[in-house]
Amino acid sequence: MTIGIPRGLFYWKNPYFWETFFEILGYQVLVSPLTNKEIIEKGVKAADPETCFSNKVFWGHLLWLSDRADYIFVPLLKTNEQGLEYCPKFFGLPDLAKILIKTPILTGTFDRRKEKIEKTLEKLGRKLKKDKKTIDKAIKTAILKEQELKEKAGQDFFRKIQSKKPKIVLISHPYNLYDEHLNLRMKEKLTKLEAEPLFIDEVPLAETQISKGVKFGNPEFHWEFGKEIMRQIQEILKYDITGAIEISSFQCGCDAVLKEFVEKEFKDRKIPFLYLLIDEHTADVGIQTRLEAFIDTL
Amino acid sequence: MIATFPYWGNYTIAFRVLLENLGITVILPEKTNSRTIEQGVKFSPELFCFPFKVNVGNYLPALEKGANTIFMWENIRGSCRLRYYWIVQQKILREAGYKVKVLNLNSKNFFSEIKKIKNENKISLWQCLKAFLLAFKIIKLIEELEKKANFLRPREICPGQTDKILSQCFERLSKIKIKKFQEISSFQKQTLWKFSQIKIDKKLNPPKVGLVGEIYLISDSSLNFDLEKKLGQQGIEIHREMNLSHHIKKTAFPWIDWFLQRKIMPYLCSTVGGHGRDAIKEMLDCVKNDFDGVIQLLPFGCLPEVTVRPILTKIHQESGLPFLSLSLDEQVAEAGINTRLEAFVDVVKNHYENKKH
Repeated sequence: MTIGIPRGLFYWKNPYFWETFFEILGYQVLVSPLTNKEIIEKGVKAADPETCFSNKVFWGHLLWLSDRADYIFVPLLKTNEQGLEYCPKFFGLPDLAKILIKTPILTGTFDRRKEKIEKTLEKLGRKLKKDKKTIDKAIKTAILKEQELKEKAGQDFFRKIQSKKPKIVLISHPYNLYDEHLNLRMKEKLTKLEAEPLFIDEVPLAETQISKGVKFGNPEFHWEFGKEIMRQIQEILKYDITGAIEISSFQCGCDAVLKEFVEKEFKDRKIPFLYLLIDEHTADVGIQTRLEAFIDTL
Repeated sequence: MIATFPYWGNYTIAFRVLLENLGITVILPEKTNSRTIEQGVKFSPELFCFPFKVNVGNYLPALEKGANTIFMWENIRGSCRLRYYWIVQQKILREAGYKVKVLNLNSKNFFSEIKKIKNENKISLWQCLKAFLLAFKIIKLIEELEKKANFLRPREICPGQTDKILSQCFERLSKIKIKKFQEISSFQKQTLWKFSQIKIDKKLNPPKVGLVGEIYLISDSSLNFDLEKKLGQQGIEIHREMNLSHHIKKTAFPWIDWFLQRKIMPYLCSTVGGHGRDAIKEMLDCVKNDFDGVIQLLPFGCLPEVTVRPILTKIHQESGLPFLSLSLDEQVAEAGINTRLEAFVDVVKNHYENKKH
């Protein structure tokens, strides 16, 4: 039996985590391919016209999987381990997916304010009629894998920060940052222009800092990404940064709030800041010109 | 402290009475019109909600007249962007050079903030309590009048009579200073008497349309281009369940949400912030009560309403109930809305006629 996982939105919150979990449970896992034109077209056609661009891309991935997998996994991510909420658009994903496609949807409510993630995963495993031992093993391996990736990202970050080239921070949600089509191949483009791109998501945060919940004169965001991005910006500002680019998908409601405060942080320190809005009509050439102009101002 | 607050349809009267009775000097925000919207858009972040921009536009004239404090509700329990209105409004207004403080009231700090105001203005506990009771009574009165008008409009024999009386009433209510409960009840008596004089066709059973969606837009007639009036005059009875007193009730008694969730379980199994779930429940009620159509009003890009829209569309496909979703922002023109409403009215009337046979 094949379980399909759409490569969009929630997938990038914990990449490889779900894959590992289901593989060890003994299923064949099919992750939809990297975003391409066809997927975007499909998604834009099916989605509500006013929803955010990343969401439209997600529907494209889901439609791609619909006739290739027996089950499609769409979790309901509600709160993370610190009790902070995910984007409200995540709350409706499984129910909207059920409307859109006929393939059965496999789902579970991950509300860590109410129960631990291990327990929710165990329930999910029971639903698939697996014994406790296999489930425990799958959970352990998946969590280990995630930690390993995080450590590697942290090491990468320290290597990059040492670089002599002008360092540019890319700020966005993980689902826009890591998707090569959505981030406009920014990594490639910046490297070509002789700059060192740094992903905000890779900035390691000390454990003590997380538990303290430091205030910085900005609002205490109740969105997990909001709080994390603001904290990571504080962290990265300790280093010598040349410029910052924020990528935001069109109609992202949360970014409209977040941008105000992200921009302020950089403007106060007189660091050049570029705001890019992406949607299905974004042309590669236009972005290239703007990037070149931005690099020239540095 | 010279205070102002967001303009919100007829509820503005209730907010004014509340603040005045708490001993605060109030400068009223300007009524929403195309000029205030234009001003608000100029200052606001581009992709923020439409109501946010409208609010900013309404504050500006009041700030120029000397207001220095803005009362704003902070919705700390929901997942919607209303939570950040106050802090972003304070930021952009200060950046624009206004010396202003946005006072954020939320369900946690509500009592302590009110206590502070009470001690500052040296008013007794009874006066403070009375201010809230008066305001709540006025909110109830406003909703009663609006509901009555919605009932009378399609049935009236001389067209336009209801609206004439309604606007006269609200004009009078906004002018008188209300300090006692008697003043409200005597006003209520007079108005109801006036309404009873309207001649109506009692046997008529007009087509019914439910209005669902974002609370601020559906209850502010200056923002939704007088939607209720327009449809009412074309012989359609509008039913609107979502209003401020319902919202206050939900804030005070959170377990209402539990019953709500149980009703909509087959369609959505989690909150999506704002009044997303309420829209689904109201539409299901419309199907159950054999209505002839549903209109959803939402600000362009509203997080909860956009999320539930595919679900409402699904209910529409399952039940065959005519459904129209209108998203409004600063670029929407009245003529465009009128055309779409006219077409929708035809669909509704068709549905109504077909049902008879």
